[in-house]
Amino acid sequence: MKNKYFFATILFMLAVVLPFIVPVFWVHVLTEILILGLFAASFNMIFGYMGQLTFGHAAYYGIGAYTTGLLMVKANVPMLATLPLSMLSAGLCAALLGYFCVKLRGIYFAILTMAFGQLVYYIIFQWYSFTGGDNGLQGIVPPEFLGKAANPYYFFTLIVVTIGMIALWIISESPFGYTMRAIRDNAERTEFIGINVQRYMLLNFIIAAMFAGLAGALWGPFNRSVAPDLTNWMHSGIPVFMTVMGGPFSFLGPLVGSAIYTFLMATVTSFTEYWPLVSGVIIILVVLLMPGGFLGLIDEKFPFLMRRGNGTGKTDGQGRQER
Amino acid sequence: MDITSLFTQFLSGLTYGTILFLVAAGLSLIFGVMNILNFAHAALWLMGAYFSYTFWNLMQEHSFAFWLSIPLAGFAAAAVGWLMEVVLIKRIYKRELYEQLLITYSVALILSDTIKLTWGVTNKLIVRPEMLRKPVFIFGAPLDSYFIFVILAGAAVAIGLWWFLKYTRYGHIVKAAVYSREMVGALGIPIPQIDTWVFTLGIFLAGFAGGIQAPIGSITLGMDTAIIIQAFCVVVIGGFGSLMGTLVGSLIVGEVLSFTILFWPEGAMVLIFVITAAILIVRPWGLFGTPMRT
Repeated sequence: MKNKYFFATILFMLAVVLPFIVPVFWVHVLTEILILGLFAASFNMIFGYMGQLTFGHAAYYGIGAYTTGLLMVKANVPMLATLPLSMLSAGLCAALLGYFCVKLRGIYFAILTMAFGQLVYYIIFQWYSFTGGDNGLQGIVPPEFLGKAANPYYFFTLIVVTIGMIALWIISESPFGYTMRAIRDNAERTEFIGINVQRYMLLNFIIAAMFAGLAGALWGPFNRSVAPDLTNWMHSGIPVFMTVMGGPFSFLGPLVGSAIYTFLMATVTSFTEYWPLVSGVIIILVVLLMPGGFLGLIDEKFPFLMRRGNGTGKTDGQGRQER
Repeated sequence: MDITSLFTQFLSGLTYGTILFLVAAGLSLIFGVMNILNFAHAALWLMGAYFSYTFWNLMQEHSFAFWLSIPLAGFAAAAVGWLMEVVLIKRIYKRELYEQLLITYSVALILSDTIKLTWGVTNKLIVRPEMLRKPVFIFGAPLDSYFIFVILAGAAVAIGLWWFLKYTRYGHIVKAAVYSREMVGALGIPIPQIDTWVFTLGIFLAGFAGGIQAPIGSITLGMDTAIIIQAFCVVVIGGFGSLMGTLVGSLIVGEVLSFTILFWPEGAMVLIFVITAAILIVRPWGLFGTPMRT
């Protein structure tokens, strides 16, 4: 446990110091890493802790982004107020759609979340009068106190993402979080000890969607615009990639994955347009050669760095350690 | 809205449904036998379209070029699919669901960029032979004569597949493998070889569908991202591993798209996803699937 906080503290200190050292381009990349890291961490609440793969998580990210965008552009609501409202709207949509999703498991869960994700995408895409259709929304300008430079918005993002990550950590280590692990490991037994599995899964789905919505809300003002592509299934693949790259079996895995993925993307796209090809090869190599992701590899090679003491470790039958 | 234009709309829906059927039949077969949801299926479909363009281009001076390029596209795509199965997919049958999805998703990304690298970004156009350029009139409704060819070719493939599954020994093995791979393996049938050939057959169908699609309009990059999701919807509606289900599912999706574009164009895809979600909620195994599968 001590070592885990140690690792998190190192990451946080790096995040504070780096923007003063690196050029402004990389400050933008760092902002992106944080936003997508929160998005991936929220995805991992469903994937890592609940054991279900969602392929439509970008829908809630997009709903968050659009809520902020619409409120700021059309109603002049201050940005700080739009953040909780984005979480609320993403959570409400998740309550409605998740109600059906949590009835299914495995591949059917994945396909239904994807179908709902595409539903949201096409609604946003076609509703020109409200969402701007495929033009998206432009002119989402961050408030004055964050200025025009890269650093203030970066630190604002850092604060929001840190609060979000701490909230997710507290949730995942609460009795509720351990109930999720129990459902992941054996839903039937969990039902037998008197837990309403579907209700707990729905609650977790809503929580995950709310934090995805928060991440989305940070994206709009950062990018000055939102587009419907934020919600489609290609975008839903991104948190899956990040989580698997970083390590789905540890809390900070998705954030580390986001750092690796976004850094690679920024580097590779600067000299070739064939990023999909490169990323495809990387993901295949990661899945085939290091199934535990980056943190899994570190854990395997340097076990003293990240010793776990919380007694929840469970091997999944293939020698891999789960949380 | 008179009856002729409704009929035209119906036939154009039937045409699109036929293409969807050819794509989704392979997807459904592969999922039914190996439990692999192949994200790369539509990329191979698009590759089939480009292959058919290349073959047609190479043989342009011959009159048979147009007709031959379509099955050749199927075989070329099948070769890529075979390679993909032997090199990559074989390693992931026993892996977790998310790993399988990520691998096929990555292959889709790689194939899309490979297509871009090989054929470039300009759109490709196949010129149809004289006899398929004029519209034909059916009950007074003008209809693209190529659509008739698409529907007939699709029907022939559907009948061929049905015959294969119903009357041949290998068809029986494939059908049995949809129910229980373990049992088929226990009977001494080499499952790994069956996997390879089912996968290759599925990709052949996708490539063939690409070859048939190519002369309808021009071939453009990114055509595959829309059709893969529609093919998923078809397979979900019809039920994984059921040929009949795929046929009915693709006709439903084709016709719904065709008619909603007439009355409510913005809602076409929304309606498809509402139907898909409703089927998943009420009958996750689809209209013609079987709930026995685990």
